[in-house]
Amino acid sequence: MALRKRVLRIIKENKGRYIGIVILILLGSFYFIAATGVANNLEKMVVGFAEEYRQEDLTFSTDKPIKDISALESETGTLIEAYRQYDVKLSNGELRLLSPSSKINIPAVLSGRGLENPGDILLDPYFSQTQGLDIGGQIELNGKTFNIVGTMAVPNYVYILKNLYDVLPTSGFGIGIVSGADIEAFPELSSEAVTVYGARFHARENINAQTTKLHGLLIEKGYSLSEWLDAKNNKRINMPYGNISSMKSMSFPVAAAFFLLSCLIVGVMIMRTVKSDGVVIGTLYAQGYRRRELTRHYMAVPVLLSAAGGLAGTLLALPCVRPVVDSMLVHYVLPDKGITFSPLNLTLAVLMPVAFIGLSSFLMMRRILKKTAVELMKGDEQKAKVNFIERALRLDRFKFNTKFRIREQVRSIPRLLFLVLGVSAASMILLFGFTFNYSMNVVMDKGALERYVYPLEYNFKEVRNLQDGGIPKGAEPYNTLRCYPEGRESVEFYLVGMESDSVGFKVNDIRGNALSRDQVNISSPLASRLRIKEGDTILSLVSKLDGKSYSLKIDGIVKAYGEQFVYMPLDEFNHLTGQPLGSYRTVLSSHEIDFDENLLAGVMDARDPEAYENVSMPTTLIVASVSALAVLIAVIIIFLVTSLMIDESRNTISLLKILGYRGKELAKLILNSSAPAVFIGFWLGLPFMLAFGNSLYGYVAEIINMLIPMMVNPLYVLISFVLIFAVYEVTKRLCGRKLAKISMSDALKAGAE
Amino acid sequence: MFLSVSNLTKSYCTGTITHVLKGVDLKMERGQIGVILGPSGSGKSTLMNIIGGVDRADGGTVEVGGERITDLNDNQLVEYRRESVGFVFQFYSLVSNLTVAENIEVVSNISKNPLKTDEVLSAVGLSDKKNRFPRELSGGEQQHVSIARAIVKNPKLLLCDEPTGALDFQTSRSILKLLQEVNKKYGTTILMITHNSAIAGMAHAVFRLRSGEVAESAHNSEIIPAERIEW
Repeated sequence: MALRKRVLRIIKENKGRYIGIVILILLGSFYFIAATGVANNLEKMVVGFAEEYRQEDLTFSTDKPIKDISALESETGTLIEAYRQYDVKLSNGELRLLSPSSKINIPAVLSGRGLENPGDILLDPYFSQTQGLDIGGQIELNGKTFNIVGTMAVPNYVYILKNLYDVLPTSGFGIGIVSGADIEAFPELSSEAVTVYGARFHARENINAQTTKLHGLLIEKGYSLSEWLDAKNNKRINMPYGNISSMKSMSFPVAAAFFLLSCLIVGVMIMRTVKSDGVVIGTLYAQGYRRRELTRHYMAVPVLLSAAGGLAGTLLALPCVRPVVDSMLVHYVLPDKGITFSPLNLTLAVLMPVAFIGLSSFLMMRRILKKTAVELMKGDEQKAKVNFIERALRLDRFKFNTKFRIREQVRSIPRLLFLVLGVSAASMILLFGFTFNYSMNVVMDKGALERYVYPLEYNFKEVRNLQDGGIPKGAEPYNTLRCYPEGRESVEFYLVGMESDSVGFKVNDIRGNALSRDQVNISSPLASRLRIKEGDTILSLVSKLDGKSYSLKIDGIVKAYGEQFVYMPLDEFNHLTGQPLGSYRTVLSSHEIDFDENLLAGVMDARDPEAYENVSMPTTLIVASVSALAVLIAVIIIFLVTSLMIDESRNTISLLKILGYRGKELAKLILNSSAPAVFIGFWLGLPFMLAFGNSLYGYVAEIINMLIPMMVNPLYVLISFVLIFAVYEVTKRLCGRKLAKISMSDALKAGAE
Repeated sequence: MFLSVSNLTKSYCTGTITHVLKGVDLKMERGQIGVILGPSGSGKSTLMNIIGGVDRADGGTVEVGGERITDLNDNQLVEYRRESVGFVFQFYSLVSNLTVAENIEVVSNISKNPLKTDEVLSAVGLSDKKNRFPRELSGGEQQHVSIARAIVKNPKLLLCDEPTGALDFQTSRSILKLLQEVNKKYGTTILMITHNSAIAGMAHAVFRLRSGEVAESAHNSEIIPAERIEW
């Protein structure tokens, strides 16, 4: 019908404003597809690999080979597999040879082919890349030549760390897989190769309980266990999981927030169009048009806008997922399963905004379209009505300019709501970016690494005892145990035993005073997570190793950032956990000590904190992109509201020009009227950001047991405030031109307001 | 002479050129009421807009109180409208989301020596409705507010564009009465445009406009009080 031609004309009349709305919707769909796409593809690669290639739930070593593995497997409902591990030193690195496993931690060939002949070797791709080795080439290991037939990934070495307790990868270190026979053929094997066990439970629930049961059974059978570590705490396995959880948790809420904001503004605009067309609608009804025909006509605008925004956002997001996934997996070795998208999510990204915005527009215009032709033709809809807030306001004590600005703002509640919520959203994103950056900096500067007075931490594979030999001067023994409060398995932390005169760790209270090492001290983030204070008792603390339960009375709280631990005197620790007096597993040292490498499960060196920043998230990039997004949202929202306000006040502006108002006076009256709303919006953004951040960090803590403190820096709040107001000023200037263009003849022609 | 219009011309180009004013001449003394009569399209509103400094002439001159406004630049015209002229429109042109008192303050806010809002409200008989919004008033009351807004700056010249055009007879008479009172009380020169020739009786000077020209101008020796005007 002829009315269809009008739809594009309506959009053309206010191009800038509709483009702004399309961008808002686009951002929502873009974020939804990008976040779900990244999270799902990460999950497919990380979790898919773990499931398909049967990632272990547990790794451990024993003092003697386990005799009847199949009996133990059926007794515990577990798949257990032993594999040989043999480290070969090279001139510029080190290669760990593993025998191929078939039940769990099955290798996946990434390129080339699998092992077929004696002398074949599969290498991890980073090792072959850094060593300049190609498929088809050869590598000589302890005098034996191996043919490189491909590259591979193994589920228990997704993040290639040499030792279980290492934090950073060792430069030049890599892994390779050769046949069992080839490993056994090394002459020095008997003295240097070790057997490592991996275990995976058939039942995928209650992993902790099953782990404890297996541990108990092995102890009962007389095995001495070392390097006992579950997958959840194994950095070779758990590193990529954090990205998945945070991405997944925020994909829908953030997109929904964009769509809701768009709903508000599109609703306001479509309502305005329908109102101003009141007489035309009445006339069309009188000519025989049906309500549904006109509803369809006016619905075309929001539906077209939301479909265009949804589609554009979806299409733009598709090519962005691959690089993000690649950048997140750059440190990990995983098979490339290709990027796929869920058809449901693709459909939702387009249909969600159409449904959200279409429905809100329909509800807003329905009231007017329900009226009769006679009512509409009277033109009452075009006359501005006074809402209850305007009616209730008594502004006699204010100056005229203040009264005018307040009335201008409260004139349209949805418009005001859109401005306040929109600025809040932009401020929230901006503040979150800065707070995230600051929190990460605080964690890096004042977190775990800063706690180390002695910078070197040597972790042993097995528990040692002070009575078997002393520790050099400038070094201290520690013993540790992984625990969780009963019923809250996600809250895992270290129970640490330390000597009462130890100095290797800083243990200061909230005020910065040194706490006694002769008492039980808990880190502040853990205390707040468990809601305990000095003098409280943690009941039913469960050891992850053997499931034994302890109670601890807390004497002090250690100021900490993100760390979760409980310190107690070493002797009490050993007594409590049933270990012989003098037992220790870790040595903290002020200098390098020449321990036998075969005894060590990992060494942590806190002397170069910058090295840790390389593996932490690229926070500067995140802050920059988040700030750019916030500024874009603020510009769009303030521009939309201001231009809408100028349009709604067109006749008033024109009238004021006739009455002798100067350009600057008008700009101050009209454009400055949003300042309080922007101000309120910004400050609302702060509690919104805290609520959002706490909920996100709380979720991350529950999923991956990582605590990120929410540290708000007043300087960054000030910078955000200045930035938001700078955006407001710039947008005002842009809209000032529009204001100047309004002619005095508008009021003369319009007559009545 | 307080208001002097000489050989005023104005044309618009809307595809074809339309000559709206073709050498208009009119003169009025300070403190007089003038009425411009004429049918639609005769150029009444264009003439009023030029005198009010809202529009510009193509040729000729307009002098108000000794100031040649046809020579003023845009900024000077703003100052002229701000200080010297008050406007009353046919459809009141009130700001719908401001109360009655606030609508008057719109003008007093930018005037150098405005009258007090309460005094003006009392003069137009709306003291008890100062906190109402325009939609809560009748058409006549809205026009009273419009007049109050126009006189609050105590203008030299009050321009009224069909002030009774949207009102019934009784209300129209009350508006005309009010304008006559304003003229007497404040000595304001009033120029009114209207279709209604009955109003001519209350004016000192009457100008009949036809096709952009002053077809007839007359000066009444006897002024009829507004309450006696009939149509």
